[in-house]
Amino acid sequence: MQELFMGVDVGSVSTNIVVIDNNTNVISSQYMRTNGQPLETVKKGLKQLEKEFSENAKIRGVGITGSGRQMIGVMIGADVIKNEITAHATATVHFVPDVRTIFEIGGQDSKIIVVEDQMVVDFAMNTVCAAGTGSFLDHQAERLGIPIDQFGGKALSADRDVRIAGRCTVFAESDMIAKQQFGFSKAEIIKGLCEALVRNYINNLGRGKKLEPPYVFQGGVAANEGIKAAFEKEINYEVVIPEHFSIMGAIGSAILAREEILATGTNTKFRGFVAANLEFAPKTFECDDCPNHCEVIEVHVNNQVVARWGDRCGKWTNSVKQIDL
Amino acid sequence: MKVTFPYMGTTVVYKKLLEMLGHDVILPPKPTRTTINLGVKYSPEFACFPLKVIMGSYFEAIQKGAEVIVTSGGNGPCRAGFYERVHQRILESEGYDVDFIVFDSMFRDPKTFFRNIKKLRDRTPWIQVMKSLLLIYDMIGKLDNLEKKVQCIRAYEKNRGETSRIWEKIQYDFDQAFSFASMKKAFKLGKEKLNSVPIHHIEEEEQIRIGIVGEIYVVMEDSINMKMEQVLNSLGAEVERSQYLSQWVTYNMLPKWMNWTHENAVLKKGEPYIPILIGGHAKQSVGQIVDYGQRKFDGVVHLMPFGCLPELVSQSIIPKISEDYNIPVLTISLDEQTGIANNQTRIEAFVDLVRGKRKQRLNGKTKLSRNKREHCCSSS
Repeated sequence: MQELFMGVDVGSVSTNIVVIDNNTNVISSQYMRTNGQPLETVKKGLKQLEKEFSENAKIRGVGITGSGRQMIGVMIGADVIKNEITAHATATVHFVPDVRTIFEIGGQDSKIIVVEDQMVVDFAMNTVCAAGTGSFLDHQAERLGIPIDQFGGKALSADRDVRIAGRCTVFAESDMIAKQQFGFSKAEIIKGLCEALVRNYINNLGRGKKLEPPYVFQGGVAANEGIKAAFEKEINYEVVIPEHFSIMGAIGSAILAREEILATGTNTKFRGFVAANLEFAPKTFECDDCPNHCEVIEVHVNNQVVARWGDRCGKWTNSVKQIDL
Repeated sequence: MKVTFPYMGTTVVYKKLLEMLGHDVILPPKPTRTTINLGVKYSPEFACFPLKVIMGSYFEAIQKGAEVIVTSGGNGPCRAGFYERVHQRILESEGYDVDFIVFDSMFRDPKTFFRNIKKLRDRTPWIQVMKSLLLIYDMIGKLDNLEKKVQCIRAYEKNRGETSRIWEKIQYDFDQAFSFASMKKAFKLGKEKLNSVPIHHIEEEEQIRIGIVGEIYVVMEDSINMKMEQVLNSLGAEVERSQYLSQWVTYNMLPKWMNWTHENAVLKKGEPYIPILIGGHAKQSVGQIVDYGQRKFDGVVHLMPFGCLPELVSQSIIPKISEDYNIPVLTISLDEQTGIANNQTRIEAFVDLVRGKRKQRLNGKTKLSRNKREHCCSSS
């Protein structure tokens, strides 16, 4: 029987589900738009996976990451629930063992991860604004009327350079309109935007860090050749884009799940593909016991509370007993 | 007098002292969303976060009937020195008439300090004042001692939340004790309770320690720093803060020529990086990181109020210290806009990083690749 490990990355823009084997070969992978419905998206992905799943294979462990990791982790029964930074770095180190710097740009957040001897030694994540992320590009592509998947290619065809203010999405837009009026072509504007994004990214996240090669660029935005070119121009060095650049978080969490299961020798908590059919109802209520008025999120399965979080004092979180379904 | 004070850390201490001086103490509620909203509403937008939260606390205390506010002043070129004036003006403009008693360093202005004490003493006999001060000093020492234990035990507790519950109970016991003998009893009882908390056994080489440094208010008051100590503890790391009340008091009470406190040593350690006093706790934060580095802590979390100038200065120096002492530092800035999810990810990743580093050190890999850093370490 083939032993497989599943990794799930529930992000703000995309949700990815991958299955890897003992040698980290990607057996199956799905890249889906989350569309603000993480639960439904994961359920759909699980059903799809079940259809193509071979009979003599077995899921031995599940890892989960991304902003929706906690809730989805409860739903599918994850063995490992990890933050995105560790998950991404784990995958990158596997595919590019000598990596020193990881650029990761996703839908709503971006990170720089500094690696030494295959170990994360420093990282930075965008805090206050999303001007350097995929959503920014998405928005501008829409405004220019160019599909996002052609965006990067277009940038490469530009003849001239144009500098666009990239600190803030709104100002970038007004600057862009001004530059259009000056007669720059769409391709040149796009190239300028890519460069603005990269400049903003490096200035914000790379501040005070020594960024050394090899550089790896991953996350959904790595599909954009324009950004890759802008990176190479900015740091004046080749940037590697790994084969599975868009699903690295999911692969990383699958690897972490495998390590955990092999190290502890335990059985997986995975509920099986039936998890897709379980009636999962997240509910929110406001706790009135103190003036904090925390929004407590609780997850019901078959009218039983399986998890609670969101309370500052921990009263609700700690009140749930682990139950098997 | 109906007195109140800013809410920070183990408040039983201030409450008790004022009670023993014969005052009616209005304990402000622990800062909550409401406190912060109140403070933000009435404070200047660009004022630092502690000013806003304390402003909110004052409003809440005044609504509960407080007439006099006792607080400490600031030191050096930092906005904290103007807190009391700003607070008073805002309260005045909102139509509240309250008195402020501000304690500054007694060495800078002994006259005012003494006058304040006299004001606060009211009709309590001097001998009683001295006794109360000594008792409180004894109490904060004992409480800090127990809290340091809490910060270690909580990392390994078997039943989540148990240690924190016991710690609440201990503080209550101390609140009920009014003599040296009963303090001693409460201390002994507290120790026993903490020792009986069921904990996971973790090999010593796998125990990790993280220090918390930064501006005193965001470091000491857990309701506005996302309960940083508990979050780190729940991820399995032992925690130590840069500030404890007893140390702070000792440091501020002793004259310079006989000040052999830890605080003073820490300030010295910061001097190579920030030679002069730039206000707030910048110099102390920097020195404390050096101290943690020398004591082989695994990492440091640096907390700062958003827009705090002294801490911004220390933040920009941190990468250098981090390299010199080979200790990872995570800076988190806090204010009313702080999102928890984002920071939770950061903290989790930071603890992973720290653990990874520890594992690497255990495997002895460091020797191969880090000649430069080892050199830096040996210079300490």
